[in-house]
Amino acid sequence: MNSPVQIWRQHKTLHNYLGKRGKLLVWTKILVPPLGFEQQAPYLVGIVKFNDGEKLPVQIVDCNESELKPNQKIEAVIRKIGKAKSEDVIEYGIKVKPI
Amino acid sequence: MRIKVLGIGLTKFGELWNKDLLDLALEASSEAINDSRLTINEIDAVFVANMIYGKLSNQDQLGALVASNLGIKGASFKVEAACASGGLAIHLAIQSLLAGTYKNVLVVGVEKMTDHTITEITSALMGAGSQDERKAGLTFPGLYALMAKAHMDKFGTTKKHLASVSVKNHFHASLNEKAQFPFEITLDKAMNSPEICAPFTLFDASPITDGASAVVLSLEDRSLPSGRQVYISGSAVASDTVGLCQRDSLIEIAATKRAAQMAFKQAGVEHQDIKIAEVHDCFTIAEILAMEDLGFCKKGEGGEFIAKGATRLGGLLPVNTSGGLKACGHPVAATGVKQIVEVTQQLRGHSSNRQVSGANVGLTQNVGGTGATVVIHVLQT
Repeated sequence: MNSPVQIWRQHKTLHNYLGKRGKLLVWTKILVPPLGFEQQAPYLVGIVKFNDGEKLPVQIVDCNESELKPNQKIEAVIRKIGKAKSEDVIEYGIKVKPI
Repeated sequence: MRIKVLGIGLTKFGELWNKDLLDLALEASSEAINDSRLTINEIDAVFVANMIYGKLSNQDQLGALVASNLGIKGASFKVEAACASGGLAIHLAIQSLLAGTYKNVLVVGVEKMTDHTITEITSALMGAGSQDERKAGLTFPGLYALMAKAHMDKFGTTKKHLASVSVKNHFHASLNEKAQFPFEITLDKAMNSPEICAPFTLFDASPITDGASAVVLSLEDRSLPSGRQVYISGSAVASDTVGLCQRDSLIEIAATKRAAQMAFKQAGVEHQDIKIAEVHDCFTIAEILAMEDLGFCKKGEGGEFIAKGATRLGGLLPVNTSGGLKACGHPVAATGVKQIVEVTQQLRGHSSNRQVSGANVGLTQNVGGTGATVVIHVLQT
């Protein structure tokens, strides 16, 4: 479990991803989630490659699986990650949506 | 390298409600020590492999815990490298023997998993993933599903290929009384079971398992009785990125190639010399990748190689005669040690109705995470 300080440290670089575009390399659907993600399941996750070459594992939001195709173009967005922990600090992270 | 495998021990694998971690570790260890024909006082050090007990049950110092309960007062260690913890503990024990620090060592891999919910176990196992993977809500079924989809997209590997791994390993497990699932399944059942994470169905995944396995290793110049002369002749470890997407390729486990190359060279054997292998089939795609990355078939042909029966008992190279992780079970840190136990039994000729005829050289492949740690061992008579 991340502490508030860890979350604060990780949040400092999130803005670098805002609006980054790339393509979806491969994806699947998670039916049995880890702790903190129970309320989101089932959800789509995949590996994306941004136009600058960076690859990242991410959740895919704002779409149905049937809308996705190989090399689907995507854009990074900032969204809430999982459920807020006992410290009540809401953790944010990078997800992607199809464009 | 000629490390003697003096003794082996293995508990039943499964949902063992009436046994705690220590019960399991002591059962396998005592069996291995008795089998070695050494006394407790002759064991110089204990290496305990475990991944998640400290995290889920708040008990650390497992090295001392197991050693003291066995009455061993020498050195003790705990080794962790996710699902490769067992293989890595064997490797480190071998290095301690080769360094001349110890003469006889006990290695025990143990995991107690079924006391916890699937969600708790799923989260604990993701400690072997990267921070980015955890933030994405990924799981190990999810990560291996991504690898499977990439393999299917590139090479045309099918769900039938995946299911054939499961069918074969269940057949082998049906011949192993220690297996968690000692029964056969049909291709139809495997392919039409509930989906857990596309393209995987329930029968593409190894289970949550309790169990322990142990070996006694030695460098001492004592002769072994006929039929019990088994040696480890190659032991190699390779590492890679913890995060899957930092790698160049999703369709191979590169650390398997690197570790295998080193282990083959140490042992002085070629692929055609290997008569039996225990590989890390945490998910069905992992056994397909193992066959390709170890060099037993060409890249992209692993699914067909297995589906045609090459790795079934009686085939060209019987693989996972124990039932593998899929059907024998996967108490994560015990798996790498269990692989050595299975191959040793085979090389001794003690595997009864699942005995591979003429088995004299065997290989084990133990993988941590999605391939961040790979341990390869070669065993010979």
